[in-house]
Amino acid sequence: MEHQRCYIYQPPETEERANKRQRTSKFDPQSRLPERLQIYRSVWAQQEERIQNTLEGADSATQENIVNFISAASSSPDEQKFAIPTALIVAGPSIASHGHFFERLGRRVRDANSAYIVLTSGECPNLKTLLKNLIKKVTSRVEDDDEDEIDRPSTSSRHGPKLLNYDLGHVEEWQKKHRAASIVVALQDSEAFDAGLLVDTIDLFHSWLDRLPFVLLFGLATSAENFEERLAGNSLRFLEGQKFDVIQSDEIIEKLLHATVASTDVRLHIGSNLCRRMLDRQKDHVQSTQDFCDGLKYAYMSHFYASVPSLLLKEGITFSDVTADIFEAVRNLPSFRRWVEDTLDDGRAQDVRNLLEDNEYLFDQVSQHIQSGQQALLSLSHAASVLASIRQAIQMSPTVRLSSIWIRAASGELSGSPLIRETMLSIKKIPSDKLVHLLASLRELEGNYFSIDLASSQQRLDSLLKNTDTPLRTQHDVRNDSLRTTVVAQKVLLSKHKAALSEQDRAYSDIVTEFHDRLETYFASSLVDPRTLFLSEILMYDLKSPHTEVFQPKPRFAIERALASPHDYLGCDCCSGVDGNPAALSATQPATAIVYQMYLESGTLINVSDLWSAFNAIAGDGSDENEPKTMALFQRALAELKYLGLVKPSRKKTDHISKTMWKGL
Amino acid sequence: MLPEEIITQLNAEFQCRDQQIRHLTALYSAHPPSPPSLNLYGLTATGKSSILRSYFHLARIPHAVINVRECITARHLLERIVAASLDAVEEADDGGKIDRRPYARTENLSALCVNMAKLLEGREKFVLVLDAVDKLREGGGTLIAALGRLGETIPSLALILTTTLPLAPSVLHSSSTAFLHFPPYTRSELLTILGAQPLKIFSTPPSLDQFPDYTPDLAAEDDAWLWSRFLQAVYDSLSKHTGRDLISFRTCATRLWRPFVEPVVAGQFGTRDFSRLMVNRRHLFQVEDWVLHRIINTAGPDDDMTTAAAKKKAPNVHVHALPYYTTHILIAAYLASYNPSRTDVTYFMKHTDKRKNKRRAPSAASFSVTGKRTGAKHRKISRHLLTPSPFTLDRLLAIFRALLEGTVPQVADLYTQIATLSSMRLLVRAGIGSNDVLEAGTRWRVGFGWEFARALGRSVNLEVGEYLVGGVD
Ligand SMILES: Nc1ncnc2c1ncn2[C@@H]1O[C@H](COP(=O)(O)OP(=O)(O)O)[C@@H](O)[C@H]1O
Ligand SMILES: [Mg+2]
Repeated sequence: MEHQRCYIYQPPETEERANKRQRTSKFDPQSRLPERLQIYRSVWAQQEERIQNTLEGADSATQENIVNFISAASSSPDEQKFAIPTALIVAGPSIASHGHFFERLGRRVRDANSAYIVLTSGECPNLKTLLKNLIKKVTSRVEDDDEDEIDRPSTSSRHGPKLLNYDLGHVEEWQKKHRAASIVVALQDSEAFDAGLLVDTIDLFHSWLDRLPFVLLFGLATSAENFEERLAGNSLRFLEGQKFDVIQSDEIIEKLLHATVASTDVRLHIGSNLCRRMLDRQKDHVQSTQDFCDGLKYAYMSHFYASVPSLLLKEGITFSDVTADIFEAVRNLPSFRRWVEDTLDDGRAQDVRNLLEDNEYLFDQVSQHIQSGQQALLSLSHAASVLASIRQAIQMSPTVRLSSIWIRAASGELSGSPLIRETMLSIKKIPSDKLVHLLASLRELEGNYFSIDLASSQQRLDSLLKNTDTPLRTQHDVRNDSLRTTVVAQKVLLSKHKAALSEQDRAYSDIVTEFHDRLETYFASSLVDPRTLFLSEILMYDLKSPHTEVFQPKPRFAIERALASPHDYLGCDCCSGVDGNPAALSATQPATAIVYQMYLESGTLINVSDLWSAFNAIAGDGSDENEPKTMALFQRALAELKYLGLVKPSRKKTDHISKTMWKGL
Repeated sequence: MLPEEIITQLNAEFQCRDQQIRHLTALYSAHPPSPPSLNLYGLTATGKSSILRSYFHLARIPHAVINVRECITARHLLERIVAASLDAVEEADDGGKIDRRPYARTENLSALCVNMAKLLEGREKFVLVLDAVDKLREGGGTLIAALGRLGETIPSLALILTTTLPLAPSVLHSSSTAFLHFPPYTRSELLTILGAQPLKIFSTPPSLDQFPDYTPDLAAEDDAWLWSRFLQAVYDSLSKHTGRDLISFRTCATRLWRPFVEPVVAGQFGTRDFSRLMVNRRHLFQVEDWVLHRIINTAGPDDDMTTAAAKKKAPNVHVHALPYYTTHILIAAYLASYNPSRTDVTYFMKHTDKRKNKRRAPSAASFSVTGKRTGAKHRKISRHLLTPSPFTLDRLLAIFRALLEGTVPQVADLYTQIATLSSMRLLVRAGIGSNDVLEAGTRWRVGFGWEFARALGRSVNLEVGEYLVGGVD
């Protein structure tokens, strides 16, 4: 190898450098932890604020409508109502975020002088409990926890009869005092309520409607039609209202991603793999904005908690902040190695020597590269937004979401990709009316990371457009047949005009070509592969490992694997199989594992006595005096399988158990 | 107030109930004794509650009205009876305070008897109305019977029980109960009652400057004229067939009124152009949307046929898409519920060629064969019309994996989704089990029908019908 010299300094050869590094005894993973936590907190606080703002902004329109509906319903309190004003809020299948939605809604509703309470199916198993909760929440009454007392009117017989604690009379008294404009009762997960309970509740509320100004909000996960079907016709006639659609969770996720991951003002970037993983999970399994935010937060935490060099992300860091082991860690980064090799290729051996020996020199370099790396990553994110907004402005199909553009950009796939080429091609052919539109939308994105001269293009275009009222077309566009066919009927007219127009068309083509070229250079320069950047490990978090285990654990798989091949977990020599066959059963394996593996091979009904003989043949030693011991092991194993829900006693055949779970499901 | 005055006033307020009101007056006036218990029955919205309340209010007889619908438990009812009676008695005494302490608790029927007897001792007459006793949520027949006899044990108490259907003697265990029937209103009665309160044609009256001679009186006359004809049309075309009771009819007419008079408000027709208006607005009377009980009143005032037709397609626009695997879980659940488990091997065994599993469209021949074997009289009911049968979780998961092309990691998310679906009641646990939703051996059922399953399948490019035994046609 031509850079043999490098090996003088003993750079580690194998890929498993992480292990080696951990084994050095003086390495302290806790080093500078408080400072790192400090950075984490400040970075995350910023993101969290953005998340809150996005979430609040996303459904503010819907909430506004609901609040208006409520105040309209309570605007004429004296008029007799025949039905309870009802809002069906279709909040979508992401039940986890419904709570937050209703909480935010509550803040607004209470502002409008209404009582607002949320009930969930969990706290309302029956009508009595529902009413108790309702009363407690409306009147903010503190209830004595004495169970015996709950159904009784308060003990003191000094006052005569008292209302029972599930009597809506309490609310009536409260209402007399507080005169709320309406009493808004939100059933957060209406589908989960027992249908009979809903019917009873509606019936009851309706009968109180002349004294209590109820407004009902039903939070729905499926659809309004579905819900109406579940209620009996009689309850439906007690309700009247509107449906409100909450913004779909995939759209919110898109917005969240835009505001956090793809934002142009973040200090720690999320890598494309992790981001793709989080989005895929949303698409495939759960739909929950909360989950997405948790994932993001966990990524940030993991980075700062676990990686010592993340300290370098501290704002205004000085040399004295950085300890020697951080420099050591930096020198062990793969991207450092790549960078060193590149520097050597440039023939700057002295620089490399300095990097390896001189901490102060390294610190300068690192600070510079943190800066420039941030810059590069941010312009990358911005370029993704620019591309997305170009495609949106000229209405290109298929619509590609920002998230997918961003992920492709962050994984370095975008530059020169068909997506870019296709987009650039349609810019070449853009007619002037669309260009006006495009320029307008791009000007919103102008800034540090996107500084091509839009203004001059705009000016020239404006002056050109002053003299025409038909859209101008570029030279590339003229060759487009489909556009020509529409004017075939006026062929004569057109050919007459052609000479006169061509002058302008040519001028327009120049503008477009210039604009196109500028954009092309812009994309070429900003669409870098972030993983090739020096210090990308510090600037970006893209590790699969703790994330998957934490967010997508595989409990069933783990248990099945532990039972089917205990060696994978035990790692001992004795259980690794017989005669080189790792699948063979051996007496040294745990009894439960042995029984389980026999269980896997049998049918739905298992004869316990056969199972016992098989077990005894493997685990027993054939001597009569040890048989009770083996039997005990066997019975314990069977009990454990039963406990795990793998078998249950069968009623079909005596002495048989039936199999209830299959491996791999 | 004199009985005759009361009758006149009530008749003015409640038309077409003259006879019933007279009965009430005869039975419950201040002096002659009243029946110890009366069962007043009639279908909904026949004026039972309103007339009773108004009558006793006007007649100034001490009384308490309990709306039994508002009582959650039997205990609740008893407590309320005592509390309401106390209030009523105090009011009758012109605010004279009663010592309420002895009445603090009414745990059971005997306590009620004791309390009521104590309260009404030495009093003239007290009427207790238990409105809609048949809506009592617990306690059942015996409680009603016991309450019915309350009037016999306490001489000054006159009890009125209102119900939808007359109380059977077997429920009452007593022969001394009187009955009073409030029959449902006939067509002409309904038209008279509702015709008495016409809605306005112009929600904001036309400005007097522009139309100086369209006085409020004239407007009221027009309203009444058009309203009564409109009511007839609504009744004959819609309400006759569906909601004949007063409330349904009133709701339906109120909903239709605005769209009906819209051309008049717009100035297209005059206020008395009834026949032309009818022709113009005939579509309103041809669709049943108006009489269906819906929470969302889909049809707005500016509705016409075209938008109504567009709406037919519209409702599914906003359906929230479920995640990909969740959709498949639901489809698998549907199949597990509607396919017998012995057919799973034929339908879901992994082949190299996935197509082999699918059902071929049932040919006419296959039907005739089964027809012959089972006999022509034995009509087969399509499977999807039956109730879903329960299945175990592992069967669901196995079908789920068979439906998907690739492999799915055994992540916990799958289980989370099953739990979520069960709280949306799309998957329902069959039978009573422990509280652990994911416990092995728990059996499940789907909580949705064929249409929903098919739509789910189409959203992920899977034709559910192809996997369904027996097919759907
Ligand atoms: N004869 C009538 N005239 C006017 N309104 C009536 C008449 N009968 C019933 N109503 C109205 O119908 C509605 C339902 O009456 P209600 O007394 O609750 O009936 P019920 O108790 O029999 O179900 C009330 O709004 C009442 O004012
Ligand atoms: Mg009634």
